[in-house]
Amino acid sequence: MGVTILTPYPLQNKSGAEAIEELSKRLLALGATQAGQFLVDGDIFEHSFKKIKIHVMHNSEYPASVFSILDNGQKQIPLITDLIFDLLMLKVNPIYSSKKMIKIESKGPRFELGDFLVKLGSVTMSQNQNFKGILIEVDYRPCLVPAFCWDLIKEFLQGLLGQQAPTAIPGYFTNTLPSNNPNQHYHRFNDTYQPIDTVQQYLEHFNNYRKQSQAPTI
Amino acid sequence: MDQPAAAMDSLLQALQVNIIPNQEYLLQGSVLDTAVQRVLHRLKGLCDNVESAPEQFSDYEACFSLGSPVTDQMQAQQQPPLFLRVIRKTSEPVDAGTPFQLRYIGNPELGDAKRPTLVRASFDIACSPTICDFLTEMGCQLKFEYTIRGYLFRKGRMKISVSKIFKINQEPISQSYLVELSVLAPSGHDSVAEDMRIFAEKLKPLVLLEKIDYKRLAQMGN
Amino acid sequence: MQREEKQLEMFLDNSLIKLNDLKKAIGQMIQKIEMEHERINWPQFLDNFALISGHLAGLSKQLALEYTPQISRLTVLPLFLSPDVDEHLVQITEGRLPVFAAECVPDYLRTKPDPTMESRMNLHEAKANALTNETAAKQVAQYTKIVSHVSDLISKARDEWEIESMNRNAQMPTYSQADTHTLVKAVGMGTNLAVTGGPVGNMLIPPGPRMPGPVQMSSVSPNLPQMGKLPSSIKTNIKSASLHPYR
Repeated sequence: MGVTILTPYPLQNKSGAEAIEELSKRLLALGATQAGQFLVDGDIFEHSFKKIKIHVMHNSEYPASVFSILDNGQKQIPLITDLIFDLLMLKVNPIYSSKKMIKIESKGPRFELGDFLVKLGSVTMSQNQNFKGILIEVDYRPCLVPAFCWDLIKEFLQGLLGQQAPTAIPGYFTNTLPSNNPNQHYHRFNDTYQPIDTVQQYLEHFNNYRKQSQAPTI
Repeated sequence: MDQPAAAMDSLLQALQVNIIPNQEYLLQGSVLDTAVQRVLHRLKGLCDNVESAPEQFSDYEACFSLGSPVTDQMQAQQQPPLFLRVIRKTSEPVDAGTPFQLRYIGNPELGDAKRPTLVRASFDIACSPTICDFLTEMGCQLKFEYTIRGYLFRKGRMKISVSKIFKINQEPISQSYLVELSVLAPSGHDSVAEDMRIFAEKLKPLVLLEKIDYKRLAQMGN
Repeated sequence: MQREEKQLEMFLDNSLIKLNDLKKAIGQMIQKIEMEHERINWPQFLDNFALISGHLAGLSKQLALEYTPQISRLTVLPLFLSPDVDEHLVQITEGRLPVFAAECVPDYLRTKPDPTMESRMNLHEAKANALTNETAAKQVAQYTKIVSHVSDLISKARDEWEIESMNRNAQMPTYSQADTHTLVKAVGMGTNLAVTGGPVGNMLIPPGPRMPGPVQMSSVSPNLPQMGKLPSSIKTNIKSASLHPYR
């Protein structure tokens, strides 16, 4: 656990494999050690006629959990379950069916560097493994509140990515959320970070990739 | 370290080699309030956790149904609604970390007369408290809800529960305790049914545990 | 089985060693008496005697040990008896036993009770002999009285128990088929449990410190620290009283 920031990495005329290799070298030069591989995947189940989507996602960092996010167009409801939930999604089949063509995943090497965990993910979509881009995940493990460690993570990302590093806080953390108290604005930046936040960041980026490439049915 | 396999793939693989316990073998019966102490006493002697007092539990259970899309009447008839139960522990200690339980229960199969127990698909999923909103937004309807309080015994892989069912206003549903003997096993483990039959014999004549025909029960009039 | 055999073999080996020691000690003693009876003195003689008795004690101790295999279960059968001189036997017994015939076998293969048992038996026999006929008859009568009394008690208790259990079975059924059906129908199909509105459903509102995501069910502001604090039941009651939240 810790705070995780997910950021896309622009390719700049390089191939995905080249970019991953270059970043890996850079990380190893900084003293990082490679610690296995990681995989985050996202599946979509759609209601047969209502506009309801259920995103079912897995994160190899939490191998016993399934993260689901229900999206009915107005609000999102997250749900964290154990792995058997996937079985249930098979049971609801005629009502909710999986859209295999827009199944998306991000996978690649995982590095440890002191308190940081860095994952370099190549994003591929559908069964044809169409390459979509690169997502870099930086996890600062000793801290639980994004507001307390954002500057540190930003600096780390600048060290690693240089010009391509993000300068602004990702929108996911700064969007104001509906609250029952109108005077009190609530956003995730000051809140305790939870594993579902990582998954939701992935979902945002996955949806962007889907929008880029797919017909407006999504 | 190997490449992490996609979670769905490994689950399907586990399903194929039958290691996921998703079949529930079930016998049901009841005992009058006046005789429950005797049944508990006998179970205490028969079951594994003899040294300690029987485990007590208190749960809230809500049953949701997910119907087929109404647009297709044909399909609606072929596809019975899906029943999903949300179970929440209500006995102490309960805190925010206590997960809710989502339980899928399939249609019970009687099988032929040779099979000693009812068999139905069943699996439990631990989940976060958002499950109720999630199900509601998914299109599930709350069908009924109740509180269940009682005692839990274990004998090997068999689970025996003796419990009282209450309406939400805490009014008991009958003057009896529900007694259930069940085993959750991967499919194809039919030998457990025989063990259950033998165990049920040991509770006679205090409790008659039998496989109950749900279809006939439903037709017997409400 | 194999383990038992091994144990037995080991035990026999040990016994053989002890027996050989004993034999040697006795042989030495005999030799001393025969060859040196002029020079032998009393303390030496006693020493030798002590040696022999030590060996004997060791042997009987080993035989009495509980974990030694029960050789008492084993039988020694004289398979072949003959009045003729057996050269092999003469050799292995060092000339002490020339024939293995019917007259000497009972002496050699005799079984003798355990010394402690023997002494206890003698004690009991002496006691029994000391009794007069009169006291014996008295004691028998006493025993008969006690035994019949106990037997009376037991049969009375059994009768009571049987009557009780018959009554129980006959008068008080412990289960009712109708109740079973009611309960199974309730749990399985929701009969009599159908949601009717009213102040219900609030059981499902979680006592969590944070509802992940933007969904806010409870009226408590989510960024206030409220670890372990239950949502106010009054508030939720007001909320759900008007409309069932899951319907």
